[in-house]
Amino acid sequence: MANLAEQLLNALTLAGLLFLVSAGLSLVFGILRVVNFAHGVFYMLGAYLGFTTVAVTGWFWPALLIVPPVVGALGALVESSTLRFIYRRPPIYQLLLTFGLALILEESLRIVYGPTAKGVEPPPSLQGALSLGSLLYPRYRLFVVGLSLAVAVAVWLFLRKTRAGLVIRAVAQNSEMADCLGADVARVRTLVFGAACALAGLGGVAAAPMTTAYLGMGIGVIVDAFVVVVIGGLGSIGGSVAGSLVVGAAQTWGAFYLPETAMVIMYAVMGAILIFRPWGLFGEEE
Amino acid sequence: MRRRDFLQVAVAGGLTAGLGVPAYLRRAWAQTPIKIGMPAALSGSYAQYGIQAKRAAELFSKDIKAKGILGRPVEFIYEDTGGDPAAAVRKAQKLVEKDGVKFLTGVALSSEALAVSAKCPEWKVIFMSTINGAGALTAKAFHRYFFRVNTSGPMGARAISLYLAEGPMKRFFALGSDYAWGRDSVASFTQQITAAKKDIVGTDYPPVGTKDFASYIAKIRQSKADGVYLALPGQDATIYLKQAHQFGLNREVKPIMEILELENMKAVGDAMVGAIGSSRYPFTVDTPRNKDFVKRFYEMHNVYPDMFDGETYEGLEWLAQVIQKAGTDDVEKVIDTWEDSSYEGLEGPFLMRKCDHQAVQLGFAVEAVKDPKYPHPIPKILATYPGDKVTPKCRSEDFS
Repeated sequence: MANLAEQLLNALTLAGLLFLVSAGLSLVFGILRVVNFAHGVFYMLGAYLGFTTVAVTGWFWPALLIVPPVVGALGALVESSTLRFIYRRPPIYQLLLTFGLALILEESLRIVYGPTAKGVEPPPSLQGALSLGSLLYPRYRLFVVGLSLAVAVAVWLFLRKTRAGLVIRAVAQNSEMADCLGADVARVRTLVFGAACALAGLGGVAAAPMTTAYLGMGIGVIVDAFVVVVIGGLGSIGGSVAGSLVVGAAQTWGAFYLPETAMVIMYAVMGAILIFRPWGLFGEEE
Repeated sequence: MRRRDFLQVAVAGGLTAGLGVPAYLRRAWAQTPIKIGMPAALSGSYAQYGIQAKRAAELFSKDIKAKGILGRPVEFIYEDTGGDPAAAVRKAQKLVEKDGVKFLTGVALSSEALAVSAKCPEWKVIFMSTINGAGALTAKAFHRYFFRVNTSGPMGARAISLYLAEGPMKRFFALGSDYAWGRDSVASFTQQITAAKKDIVGTDYPPVGTKDFASYIAKIRQSKADGVYLALPGQDATIYLKQAHQFGLNREVKPIMEILELENMKAVGDAMVGAIGSSRYPFTVDTPRNKDFVKRFYEMHNVYPDMFDGETYEGLEWLAQVIQKAGTDDVEKVIDTWEDSSYEGLEGPFLMRKCDHQAVQLGFAVEAVKDPKYPHPIPKILATYPGDKVTPKCRSEDFS
């Protein structure tokens, strides 16, 4: 019983982290129709900036508040200075641009921080393990589950219940029509791209105490995030939640119950879902 | 963009992600220098190893500058392989054919080393390994042009097994990364620990780049092992140790590392204290030569030398002595001179075995300890084993 509960929590933790990354990826695709390969690097940037903030202030909590807006601002700058000019070009241009950006950012981080991974300590109140019945579970992991759940609810409420969310959904559905109706599409795109990067940055800060900040963490996470987005459906927040849960469960349970297939199982699940719902669990048929 | 485009782009991008990153060259010297080519991983996930080789070469360069080798200057040419075997072969070929190097070293990964080494008989250049652990390099894949100065993977596994054989721990879980080095190390460890009448109570092979070890941690805890043997490359080991600490596992099950690196100790910090393992070169070795090296290395790079900083420096110094003794940089003559020659390394004596070009040297079992003099945990030497006890039989990975 304790074992089952532990496996469930493990899956939820991983799903939480994956959600923070894939939500932005999905959002950017929905609004900008761009596959952002640099998304993972913003996640990595979040982790490194989190390390710096903790090192400077001596506290973990400020990192959680300061880093996402900083990463978001950088993302908005990147969108308005580069991506904006190639929306009408074939997708390969966007791939080249975002992939190039990913390489530049990653190597810049290597120059600034050096090759050694940077460890980040969780805040004192979240260190150690909590006893849940017969189960000992790290407090910090429980916090990650709670944080990502809160973010998921907040993003969903924002998109569904606010005026800004309404405009964003309008642009996602038909950007030309939204433009005709007076929505500032260029601005929406910049802000959405920035917000997506901020989410990735938040994910990076949240991940740092679990995985340390290291070079290559961006490439590692982006592959999983793409799988999440393909499973859940492009451009759907609900899909990101569902996809994250599926991938989180496939990875952790696969590693526990069927270790020899740990690598394959995530892709097998993705393949199975694509056969029956090629547009993903929550995506819309095109 | 439609969904189909997305998938195409995603696949294309995934393929591109495997490619390397541009390289750079060093300015050539005016005289006819002795050129040493370093196709090293300077970017990508394994850059820390390539960078160690480069740091050692930089210090060696400074040390040899005044007198050179055979009165000639020494020139290092670095090429970035990104840790990719195909790129490593390409870069090595460029170094040999375009730059005319006769000596290749600094290759970071065993997979790269196996690929590059296979071409060396054809190129007629010497490949000096100072990092690569795969046992096969001096066994199945051995040839005349390959020399291994560093401690190999089986030698490391041997040292820590000898240490554990005498210790109180009885039950072990083995966790190895799912590729050649991880699986080989686990096999080697299993064989030796079973021979010492101890039990392996579980084995698992997490994929390279695993971000979350929670499932493995749960299994290790359930196995009620006394110690967990870890053959995980740099970053994977860091993540494992960090997470195992958060789960409180390190107190119950002692981490035993195939290689106990400073890189891990810096990233994991105090949570690493108490972990034991083997070390190719612990910078805390108490010899006058080593103390001097550590001091000068720190002055130049502002960090303490990690395992491959030390091993690469030793390799370069030894190679220089051999060329000097041969009186020429002719490859065939250098090989003949090197075979059965000895060298006083930083931590002790080295002997280049003629039969498989594996350097016989001391083996170390170490423990990560806290020392207020250092900003991170450091390797404390628990036991030192003579070279003949930790070096496998000729051209093999077996000991008995």
